[in-house]
Amino acid sequence: MQDLLNHPAMQGGIAPFFTALLAAALLRRWNLSGLALIAGFLVTAFMIGVLGIEPLTATRKVILLGVFAALLGVVLSKSSWRFMRSTLAFGGGLASIWVIWRILVQHNEFLTALPWAVGTASYVGWLIFWSDRLHDKPIRAGSAGLALGLGTGVVALFGSSVTLGMLGMSLGAASGAFLLLQLLGMRPLACGRSFTLSLSLLAALVGCLGTLTANLPWYALMILGAIPSAAQIPVPQKSSIWLQSLQLSAAALLCAAGAVYLTWRVTGAPPI
Amino acid sequence: MKPSILFAALLLTAPLSALAASATYKIDPAHTYPHFSISHLGFSTMHGRFDKTSGTVTLDRAAKTGSMDITIDTNSISTGFAKRDKDLMSPDFFNVAEFPTMTYQASSITFKGDTPTSVNGSLTLLGVTRPVKLAIDSFHCGIFPMNKKEKCGAGASADIKRSDFGMKTFLPGIGDDVKLVFEIEAYKE
Repeated sequence: MQDLLNHPAMQGGIAPFFTALLAAALLRRWNLSGLALIAGFLVTAFMIGVLGIEPLTATRKVILLGVFAALLGVVLSKSSWRFMRSTLAFGGGLASIWVIWRILVQHNEFLTALPWAVGTASYVGWLIFWSDRLHDKPIRAGSAGLALGLGTGVVALFGSSVTLGMLGMSLGAASGAFLLLQLLGMRPLACGRSFTLSLSLLAALVGCLGTLTANLPWYALMILGAIPSAAQIPVPQKSSIWLQSLQLSAAALLCAAGAVYLTWRVTGAPPI
Repeated sequence: MKPSILFAALLLTAPLSALAASATYKIDPAHTYPHFSISHLGFSTMHGRFDKTSGTVTLDRAAKTGSMDITIDTNSISTGFAKRDKDLMSPDFFNVAEFPTMTYQASSITFKGDTPTSVNGSLTLLGVTRPVKLAIDSFHCGIFPMNKKEKCGAGASADIKRSDFGMKTFLPGIGDDVKLVFEIEAYKE
């Protein structure tokens, strides 16, 4: 049993998938199914032993921010303030600096650290801004989450670390469960910012950590950054929910595949 | 007192005065390589070392006291295989981007006679500090023949669990028990 629980496929895929599936089903009646994403992510974080506060590493800051983003998303889901999207993107960018602060201060010169800080904040802000457009489109959000999570997880696994890889893939698995539940029920679930804000923030930060702490090429992240837009491609509204999700997921996964291919060309096989 | 008698008296008491004084020794980085060994899925024991170490050791062999302050550059890890070294530098293991050093600090050294036998200190790795007692397996002080400077050298070891420091990736396949060995040479300042 312990061997099964220690298996990477269980920790980064199966466990978050079924946790998210259960969470999405249970929370459906309160329109809080979007919280399934953070539930799946937290299960993986727990299983790989990175949950905790001390010492407050960058990975643990990411987890804390993910939880905060999910809860904030619940509060803000109904908000239609016109500057909401920009404000969330700006706030996420600032928060990303807090996450990578310890890494930035290892650079002896300000000018060396500056591009990393600006790049990280920009990528986080970018993903939050464009993902927020999906917060009231659950099929599109689920498809984007599937591709963004899997893409971030696989590139992190290839270019960085198993820990970041599994955290990324748990986002894909949880999004897949969220999407599957909609397909099985043949009707969309409530998505909200609890899904899109935590998804975009977590995926962006995991990707940035992979670049900052290991060998994940930064330009692979630029391709992943196109996923929220890819999930906005027009699909026939009269077609079945299955066909819509298939088309949207295929478009988003194409971006993820491009990022994975680029990373594989640069870094070679993953460490496992 | 005749000069020859004075010289003989000085010669006889010199080792005693050397013993009585507290001395500070600065790590010789060219001859100090902390290394470690760990089980690789039970098939073999893998070895690695750190190529950059700095710090000081103080010893007062008469008072039987001493201290140790060692900083190891985790970026300098070397296992003889570059790809594995990159993996070890990643957040899965030493997370060198965030924690570029690990330190060993001790304010207590145990002696048997005038020879140190163990060091009671604490190891800080990945931001986690845990008490680690080093057993001193070998110890020798003398004049280094190449530059005639006084030098001490020691081999010390300890067994730790990497999970105690939050390094949990690939447990239990890649072993939790790590043998740390400090081979140290240091010049008297």
